[in-house]
Amino acid sequence: MNGKTMHWVNRLAALGLAVVLTAGFAVAGGAQSVGGQAYSTYVNTPLGSSGQTPLAVLPAVFGTDGAEADAEGSALNVAGALSSDFLNSITSGEIGTAESGAQSTASAASINILNGLITADEVVANVMSSVGQDGAFSNADGSTFTNLAIAGVGSLSGDQPVAPNTNISLPGVGYVVLNEQIPSGDGVTSSGLTVNMIHVYLQSLTGGTCTLLGCLPGVPTTTGEIVVGSAASSVQ
Amino acid sequence: MCKLRNLRLLTTLGAGAVVALVAAACSDQTSLNTATQRPNFWVGPPPQCPAGKWTGGGRIDPTGDASRTAPNDDMADETSGPQPKPPDPPPFITGKVTFGFNVFLGTDADQNCIVTKGEIEVNHHPAKTSWHVSIHHGVDDFDGKVVFAAVFPDNSGRGFCVVVGLPDKPEDATSPPPTGFVTARVNGQHGFEKVQFEGCDNDRGRAQSGRINGFHVDAMRWRSAGTASGDPGDTGLTYLTGGNIVEHGS
Repeated sequence: MNGKTMHWVNRLAALGLAVVLTAGFAVAGGAQSVGGQAYSTYVNTPLGSSGQTPLAVLPAVFGTDGAEADAEGSALNVAGALSSDFLNSITSGEIGTAESGAQSTASAASINILNGLITADEVVANVMSSVGQDGAFSNADGSTFTNLAIAGVGSLSGDQPVAPNTNISLPGVGYVVLNEQIPSGDGVTSSGLTVNMIHVYLQSLTGGTCTLLGCLPGVPTTTGEIVVGSAASSVQ
Repeated sequence: MCKLRNLRLLTTLGAGAVVALVAAACSDQTSLNTATQRPNFWVGPPPQCPAGKWTGGGRIDPTGDASRTAPNDDMADETSGPQPKPPDPPPFITGKVTFGFNVFLGTDADQNCIVTKGEIEVNHHPAKTSWHVSIHHGVDDFDGKVVFAAVFPDNSGRGFCVVVGLPDKPEDATSPPPTGFVTARVNGQHGFEKVQFEGCDNDRGRAQSGRINGFHVDAMRWRSAGTASGDPGDTGLTYLTGGNIVEHGS
């Protein structure tokens, strides 16, 4: 190996080291941005509507800064669709030199959906996202239902988690997804997670027809939705 | 009755905190705990009070276990720094507690550690109590007083803690003594009461990669006088069920 080759090897080695260090700092040095949002209830049905309530949105965070936002509601009632009380939403986030993250919590108590079809004493949605030397990740630890009951399906006693994305049919109504989890990010430098503890999809069949030869089934179409306990966090 | 209970609470809180503060001054971070499990110094120097920034949120589920040996009790760190043994005041606050916070620290003219800016929201679900603390320009929005704080390494050597709402220094003789801690708004506009918040970042820079008995290693403690909420007590220092607490530098 002559001197010229060694020169290029050294340059390549230096370049490689720089790339590795840059990548390392990009991971260990934390996020460029963090995001968070939480709300207790959302109703959009033919029976009535209510926006994301109470809504807490994380303000923009810059540098090695941090922020917190929260919102409270004493009670909410959309007749025939949803009633609930003790509504609380909190989100916070930070950018640091070693670790950056965001965490959000939404809760609602005394929940009654569609005239008793689904009831619960309380739901808590809790998510966090973080990026640091271990990479980027999110989880929903601390998200639970308290005394959840679904008419005709069953009930859970006490404070219990439910497997992510548990889909339960609600005949004549549509379906509900419990602990609905929507992840995002690459798991290396970015990560995010949205959790909707109760997400009811109202559906009706449209387009079905019958002839002498038989019937073609209709296509289920979503006509409304109800969300209780939604929390989201992200880092990138 | 409420006044007497509050006075007793504050007197108790004050005695423990004032004495311990001498050893836990914000700028005194050079004599760190030398226990086997050291903090992650790679992430930078130990946090200092001046210009310190702390943010976090999540959930705890304090059990009220008097022996402090429940799986989510952070007994090892509970009496770190200026903090007294729980419950102080009694009783224990138990059940689901969710929270979020962001505090920036600084110093006053006498080099006392103070909160320059901050928001803290805590919800105690079984009692349906919400507390909110708001601090701007170095004073509590709800009583106009300076909010004193402390930053210290915890006893286990795993990390650092911040306490928001220590007794006034010096105690304000013009108010019913002792004064201090921090004033929280209760359930929207349903009165105000004295509270204290503590958060511990026991996994600095490592984003809750550690677990103890299935719980996150960061911990939170909330103490309430209960004069307005009727919900007095102390959670004790409790590992997070979910969420994160981050000391993110100065």
